[in-house]
Amino acid sequence: MRKTTYILHLTSIIAAAMMTVSCFDDDWKSPDMTNPPYGNNKIEQSEAKLVTIADLKTQYASAINASGFQRIEEDKQLKATVIGNDIGGNIYKQVCIQDATGAMIVGINGTGLFPFLSVGQQILIDLKDLCIGGYGQQTQLGDEYNGSIGRMSTEKWEEHVRILPTHDMSQIDTIDFFSVAQTDIARYCGHLVKMENVRIGDADGTTTFAPEYKSGTTLTYNGSTNGYVHHTLNGESMDKLLLRTSTYAKFAEKVIPTKPVTLYGIATRYRNTWQILIRAEEDIKDN
Amino acid sequence: MRKKLLFATLLCLPLQMLAQEPLISETEKAIKDETASFIFTESQLDEDADMTTDVIQINSSSNMYTSNVGYLFSPLRFKFRALDQKYNDIYMNGVQVNSAENGRFSYSTIGGMNDATRNIDYASPFESNTFSMSAIGGSNNYNFRASDFAAGNKVTLSALNRNYTARAMYTFGTGLSQSGWAFFGTVGYRWANMETAAVEGTFYNSLAYFLSLQKKWGEHHSLNLATWGNPTERAQQGASTDEAYWLANNYLYNPYWGYQDGKKRNSRVVNNYEPSALLTWDWTINDGLKLTTSLFGKYAMYSGTRLQYNNSQNPKPDYWKNFPSYNYDVWGLTDGSNNDLNAWQESYNYWTADIANRQIQWDKLYYANSQMNAVGGDAAYYMLARHNDHLALGLGSTLNWNINNRSKFQIGVQLASNKGMHYQTISDMMGAEYLHNVNNYAIGTYAGSDSRVQYDVNNPNGTVSEGDRYGYDFNIFVQKATVWSQITHDRGNSHTFISGRIGGTQMWRDGKMRNGLFADNSYGKSGTARFLDGGLKVGTNINLGKGHVIGFGVSYMTYAPAAYSNYGGSAFQAAEMNNNYVEGLKVEHMASAELGYALNIGWLRANLTAYYNHGTRMNEWQNYYYDDVNSFTYVSMTGVEKDWYGVELGMRVKVTSKLSIDLIGSMADAKYMKDTDVSYLLSTEGTVTKDILYNKGMREASTPLTVGSIGLNYNVSGWWFNLKGNYYDRIYLSYSPSLRYQSTLIRSGQVDNDGSLIVPEQTQGHGGFMLDGSIGHQFRVAGHPLSVNLMATNILNNRKFVSGGYEQSRSSYTTDQATGEVSGQRTYNFQKNPMKYYVQGFNFMLNLNYRF
Repeated sequence: MRKTTYILHLTSIIAAAMMTVSCFDDDWKSPDMTNPPYGNNKIEQSEAKLVTIADLKTQYASAINASGFQRIEEDKQLKATVIGNDIGGNIYKQVCIQDATGAMIVGINGTGLFPFLSVGQQILIDLKDLCIGGYGQQTQLGDEYNGSIGRMSTEKWEEHVRILPTHDMSQIDTIDFFSVAQTDIARYCGHLVKMENVRIGDADGTTTFAPEYKSGTTLTYNGSTNGYVHHTLNGESMDKLLLRTSTYAKFAEKVIPTKPVTLYGIATRYRNTWQILIRAEEDIKDN
Repeated sequence: MRKKLLFATLLCLPLQMLAQEPLISETEKAIKDETASFIFTESQLDEDADMTTDVIQINSSSNMYTSNVGYLFSPLRFKFRALDQKYNDIYMNGVQVNSAENGRFSYSTIGGMNDATRNIDYASPFESNTFSMSAIGGSNNYNFRASDFAAGNKVTLSALNRNYTARAMYTFGTGLSQSGWAFFGTVGYRWANMETAAVEGTFYNSLAYFLSLQKKWGEHHSLNLATWGNPTERAQQGASTDEAYWLANNYLYNPYWGYQDGKKRNSRVVNNYEPSALLTWDWTINDGLKLTTSLFGKYAMYSGTRLQYNNSQNPKPDYWKNFPSYNYDVWGLTDGSNNDLNAWQESYNYWTADIANRQIQWDKLYYANSQMNAVGGDAAYYMLARHNDHLALGLGSTLNWNINNRSKFQIGVQLASNKGMHYQTISDMMGAEYLHNVNNYAIGTYAGSDSRVQYDVNNPNGTVSEGDRYGYDFNIFVQKATVWSQITHDRGNSHTFISGRIGGTQMWRDGKMRNGLFADNSYGKSGTARFLDGGLKVGTNINLGKGHVIGFGVSYMTYAPAAYSNYGGSAFQAAEMNNNYVEGLKVEHMASAELGYALNIGWLRANLTAYYNHGTRMNEWQNYYYDDVNSFTYVSMTGVEKDWYGVELGMRVKVTSKLSIDLIGSMADAKYMKDTDVSYLLSTEGTVTKDILYNKGMREASTPLTVGSIGLNYNVSGWWFNLKGNYYDRIYLSYSPSLRYQSTLIRSGQVDNDGSLIVPEQTQGHGGFMLDGSIGHQFRVAGHPLSVNLMATNILNNRKFVSGGYEQSRSSYTTDQATGEVSGQRTYNFQKNPMKYYVQGFNFMLNLNYRF
């Protein structure tokens, strides 16, 4: 009888334990995002400190035009919206920002930036101690690297950026590229543009945007250099305009449409050449 | 006549000493039992998932080496003879329970039920036994019959500072009643939370139960039903580089955890529950003939989580781009043109400013997903659970026939069937709204609209959410049948055995997703592969008299390749992707020999053994990211040839009746004997590349190949003291194959003036000296025994021991896409930064057992 009692006790303990021992790994809930855990929430916006991208391009024009750089000594802030990032693998270690006065590139020595700086996100940048300069006269914010403008470290970037509450893709000003005069290249370089009814060169039904070349193969496409493949747009001279695609782009192996399409992209400049960077495959739309 | 019988009986144990008394005292045995069961059932031995590291629980009732080595060197994860655990055969009431799919047995599945797993018959590699043809890593047979457990109650309480911090167990046994019934049961719980576990960011939550009920009918028949399980949830520790350990100022730095909303969260949480049942029928046909038949079944549910990133930055806090040395070449191996001292300093400051900076930043990852929700994009970060579930059935039947006083005969059959269900699920979307079941690694090689980027062409662009299957989903079926036999014969002063087995294995894969890269051969059943294996083993021992015994044995075995394993071999080249078998897959061959000498002259007992194993036609399998092809790869090695050899010494010197000294040591080698054919499948494009792997001379990793120990045992007035000084050396880290591909060596210019390839030396860990001690005593409380044991490990708190790790497979150079040639040197050097595990510093375990 006593044995039976013990057996019942033991099996009861097991049954009770099976029912009561609970998981340690919680059902985790999303953290509160009121103060975004990315960037520096201590940066307080000050109207007195705010400058525009146009202001910066004007103030540092000599460094930008000389493809040099200058460290920003003044306590200034820039409020802008992210218009491009590395989501498609075609923009590398950069994000593109824009305000009502212009656009520019921010060089950050990090990959996978897109989920932290998505298109439409408004940001506030503490400019003091960052560098501004030009790469092929394309305005870029970053840090000094071997005597020229380079990327800033991710740690430094996070110290200097604050994520603002506004996230609105619809407010991004997308300009018609073909309405921009060549003389306005300084004003609009880095801008998000739309190109309607545009023909992409090398479109033969099989050629892709930027095929990954294998050892021993020969580059056959126009102006392909350093992991990028260039294609003409509307047959324009590549001295003036080209489509620039990285072989690491997610859409690199997409076959170039043979029919005219509508393209969205970042209109960067290299000296006086427009270089259009498609951000992701979704930027290529059938007419 | 009686003397002859005794002599014959003793000779049945090869190389066992003619001991007049047990080798160890009851107290010492109790401590060893506790330590061993801790060692062999705890996940801390495993760095990456579903199996404990290759530990082998070997023991012997009389061999000084094997009775100690199993637990003695455990702090450095010593592997018996540096052998894979699949060479250690595990039986339960006579039925083999090693996984039919990968050949291994997971000791962690019997953790927390220590009182139920003490009755074990051990057979060393060349030891005859009554349940099997012993394996080259030894064989163990657990006896789970209720009537063989002691009657009474027992309560055990433990406190320790290891991967769990508290344990409680209660055990009750009835013994065999007059009516022929017997019952035994135990229940245990092991616990640690993130504040108490030795390794920060880990926890342990494990319940264990074991129940056994037996009924005997007269002298001839017995039926026993046992069932057990230990639902366990535990968080893991990851290896990291010396730079991380330095920056964290912590040899137990664990990159797997981080803060979420101020609470610690680990990314690698294992959930494992393998409810098992065993039905045993013992039929004693007559005094000399006994048939034991057991039917085993279990349903294993295993999942291990991991943090996954999608087209975004690797969230590992110790990802190479996060280190200061990513910015500055601290080794002086490059021209320094990319050095950025400011960035190095900024990174250093970041790492050292706050503990949260060097751990996973969960809040940021949730923020990233909220950004992706805002743009309608797929999750950038999410948690995956890799499931390895199994339905295993086994039948073992053994006939033991005592032919006469000198000869015994056994014959048995083992049948096994295993359905392995391998799939991935989304365990946490981490706030994200969308995720598509698409192979993002293949996008880029193929356009996003190409069907080849689909993980499941049958459900293209399918969206997944929590609980849904993602990436891969397949079953592997394995069926095995083996017949074995053994005969032992005593003649004069010798004992000889001969045993053999022959078996067949068949296996196939059944894909549940049609992978876009292999649309024609990933969904549905693969072809069936069949293998025939077997072997022969002979051993003899000769008693030379006056305490001297010599013995030797030889064997030749063949083994069917493992069907699927995250470690060791795999018959499928990339089971996560397709139905293809590894090309050139063969049955593995293993030739083994052992020569031993034993001495017992009263005050001295010693065993000296030399062994040699030679493996050929072996298969190995790994998967990792290979920089030079910019792709994750599934890597198969065939025609592997390996040698394991060494010398083992165990010695106990009885100085006085109270004091004895133990000397235990082994000098071993375990290495590849020739270069190997390798082929790897690229997960980004599905193509297979063949190469030659220059792995000749590479050693078995994560175990010290040289060990030595001197121990003092002192018994006085019921107290038992033990102090051991252990020395470890020649600890190799797991070598990286891709660094030693012929194409890699040529590409990176590792060629000498004569045109010979310069193969990198295998990286070694750091060994040294460690001091361990134990103290135990048995008190009587209320007329019942209360045992108290305290075990202390690494008393001198030596923190510089490397217990294991692996070389990083990534390249320290960049490759030009167009030419395939080296295009530059990376500032960060992967080869100078192997991933390591360090041993824990001082740690202890206090046990209290009360029997009533």
